Amino acid sequence: MTAIYGLFDKPDAAQRAYTGLKRAGVASHDITVISAEPFEAFEFSHRDHSMILFRLALVGGVIGFVSAVLLTRGTELAWPLVTGGMPVVAWWPNLVIIFEMTMLGAIVTTVVSLLVASKLPAFRRGLYDPEVSDGKILVGVPLSAMPGGRTEEAVREALNAGGPSAVKTTQM
Amino acid sequence: MSHHWGMAIDLDKCTGCEACVVACHAENNIATAGPEEAARGRAMHWLRVERYWEGEYPEAKLKFRPVLCQQCDAAPCESVCPTYASHHTDEGLNAQVYNRCIGTRYCANACPYNVRQFNFFNPTWDKPLQLQFNPDVSIREVGVMEKCTFCVQRIKAAEITAEADKRELKDGELKPACAQSCPATAIAFGDLNDPESRVSRLFQSGRGEKLLEDVGTQPKIVYLKRQATA
Amino acid sequence: MSEYAATLTDDLLRPLLKTSARFWILVVLLLGVVSLGVGAFAYQVNTGIGVWGLNSPVFWAFDITNFVFWIGISHAGTLISAILRLVNAEWRRPVTRCAEVITVFALMIGAMFPIVHLGRPWLFFWLMPYPTERQIWPNFRSPLVWDFFAISTYLTGSSLFLFLPTIPDFALVRDKTTGWRRRFYGILALGWTGTTKQWHRLESAMQIMAIAIVPVAVSVHTIVSFDFSMAPVPMWHSTIFGPYFVAGAIFSGIAALIIAMAALRKFLHLEKYLHPVHFENLGKLLLMMSLLWGYFVFAERLTTWYGNGVSEMTVFWQTQRLSFAPLYWTMVTVNFIVPVTILSFKRLRTIAGCVVASFGVVLGMWLERFLIIVPTLSHKYLSYSWGSYRPRTPEILLLIATFGAMVLFYVVFSKLVPIISIWEMKIGQHPQLAHEHLTSDEKATIWRTQP
Repeated sequence: MTAIYGLFDKPDAAQRAYTGLKRAGVASHDITVISAEPFEAFEFSHRDHSMILFRLALVGGVIGFVSAVLLTRGTELAWPLVTGGMPVVAWWPNLVIIFEMTMLGAIVTTVVSLLVASKLPAFRRGLYDPEVSDGKILVGVPLSAMPGGRTEEAVREALNAGGPSAVKTTQM
Repeated sequence: MSHHWGMAIDLDKCTGCEACVVACHAENNIATAGPEEAARGRAMHWLRVERYWEGEYPEAKLKFRPVLCQQCDAAPCESVCPTYASHHTDEGLNAQVYNRCIGTRYCANACPYNVRQFNFFNPTWDKPLQLQFNPDVSIREVGVMEKCTFCVQRIKAAEITAEADKRELKDGELKPACAQSCPATAIAFGDLNDPESRVSRLFQSGRGEKLLEDVGTQPKIVYLKRQATA
Repeated sequence: MSEYAATLTDDLLRPLLKTSARFWILVVLLLGVVSLGVGAFAYQVNTGIGVWGLNSPVFWAFDITNFVFWIGISHAGTLISAILRLVNAEWRRPVTRCAEVITVFALMIGAMFPIVHLGRPWLFFWLMPYPTERQIWPNFRSPLVWDFFAISTYLTGSSLFLFLPTIPDFALVRDKTTGWRRRFYGILALGWTGTTKQWHRLESAMQIMAIAIVPVAVSVHTIVSFDFSMAPVPMWHSTIFGPYFVAGAIFSGIAALIIAMAALRKFLHLEKYLHPVHFENLGKLLLMMSLLWGYFVFAERLTTWYGNGVSEMTVFWQTQRLSFAPLYWTMVTVNFIVPVTILSFKRLRTIAGCVVASFGVVLGMWLERFLIIVPTLSHKYLSYSWGSYRPRTPEILLLIATFGAMVLFYVVFSKLVPIISIWEMKIGQHPQLAHEHLTSDEKATIWRTQP
């Protein structure tokens, strides 16, 4: 699949190209913007307000919590041993284990969710240009994403409106 | 009937002869540390006789106190052992399971009585002492914690015999090595669940005091105070 | 790319791309020091813990001092990275990775000691909860098992906290290098490209991790303090230990961070990025922690003195006036008197002043841990069984080796990974374009007004 992209020096330029592409009818989820640092103040960062990572972290915490309760209570009941005059299932010390495993669940789930949601590790490189590491911002579109009738020309025009340093095509 | 083992030590009768210490070493296969290691503070006495004195010779007054594992019912050593090597049995003993001990030494630090001993090296015996081992007691290897068990091997042997004979254990039938060897019969051992046993009566005698009772360990050894002397 | 960004990238990649002979000499020396410790440990496993100076009743000394000390040092990263990130303090940017690295490596070194100090270290895995044919599980009432869980959680959390923001930097290095380096950093970068979705997810994840790691860090050193406070022996069984240890940990952590930053600034020529103001700010934090430490010590000792318990006062006087007094007063001097003096005056709060104060604090905090353990253990309730302690060669070698290991890890890390977070520094140049300074209303407004 061919993709066409422009490389821009400044985030404003990239934003102009992005807006131009949207006006040309490209859906925002088809426009890829790649940069070496985040530019969250710009619309092209299309911040999905999803709190999905937070919710998943909470779920991870609950899983950790339940595992810890099962581990402590379960093993203490499986082979009941009295120590120090304490009850066999002692809640105060178990709370320590429960806290740690809850936090571990939340942390590990956050990282796993991050990797999955960001599609990392990525074995096949998608749309990319190493010039991004020189500070360029890449704004690109896969050509199959063009709504009926539009051509490469419309895309090039939209990209050029931003004043790119280069416009290239690549196989993705 | 289930048992709850306890001990009473009569400080009035104790002469400080340390026969109990020697008997304990012999019964439980405890090695002697040797002069160098003992100088480093690594003498391995499960039972030690503490000696205190007041005044100067010839008016010095000596006091002896045998200190051994108090088999506490709320033992601080038990809750801190990560591998359950130290735990409480149904008969009220603080069990030390050598095979589970990984040698963190937390139990020894938590013990207010300093009765727990550690194998800093593999124990060695000069020949021919290795022929004298008690076959009922295992030899501990380096890195393992050990302490007085109230001669649990004797307790178990007596219980098994009594069960085979289909009878109850009689009071005084079973004695740990220290009680057996004390020439002054200062050490009494028995079942606290039996109100008629010698130990139970000594516990109630009013002469008894527990060691470091306010630390909250609920020890099961009562020290009988010296009677007032003229 | 802006000129700043270009210089930044060049400066921070230079240590990765150019290696001098001095580096190799240093690594070899440090490996030598570490191998001394490894040798001492091997000797101890082969012969028995008796080769140390431990005895009855002093069953813990250098081993647990080192353990608590290094876990304490590991609290640097959390404070600086997580808390400063959460409060949007811009000055944290060049400092975060240096701090997070200290955390991870200090934790690894500290976490070794629960294994090294065992009488039978080959059985350390019995601390882990796993189904075994012996059918027995760890005793969850034991603070040592809590240590295992807490340190594992914290180590996992801080390693991930360190690794996640390095991913974009690894991508940068991948694009700027060739050959084996390109492949190596390519793997580490996990194929990161830098799409807006990836950035957004990364920043959310970092926010969650920062929120999660702070209570974990507090719990870790509290649990380490519980190794002492759960034992009913004089001057250990104190309710102050949890907060006292956490404050002490943060204290020693900041000191270690200042030393590490000063070394990096000098040896990697990072004067453009690590400014005197960074040291000043950390110096002010160090001052605050020194005062807090002094407050805790005063509160604990005043309470003990008023309580006048026989056994407690025995231990109290041992440190205040008797055999441990020289060590105790050294500790008070280097932990409190010297740092407060140096760091209270702006003219003295230079990089050199902060480093001098920090070295003192590192020494003082090691002494503090030692003075918590040994005076108590050698003077418990029954005076007949009191003892004493003197370290022997294997313990001293192990202690030196831990410092060698820390420096070695740090040197190798800064050779392989940019020690300052490049992408976060780039954001720092124009924070108004990054999300951290904007409320969600402001962000929405900006979007809508873009053409």
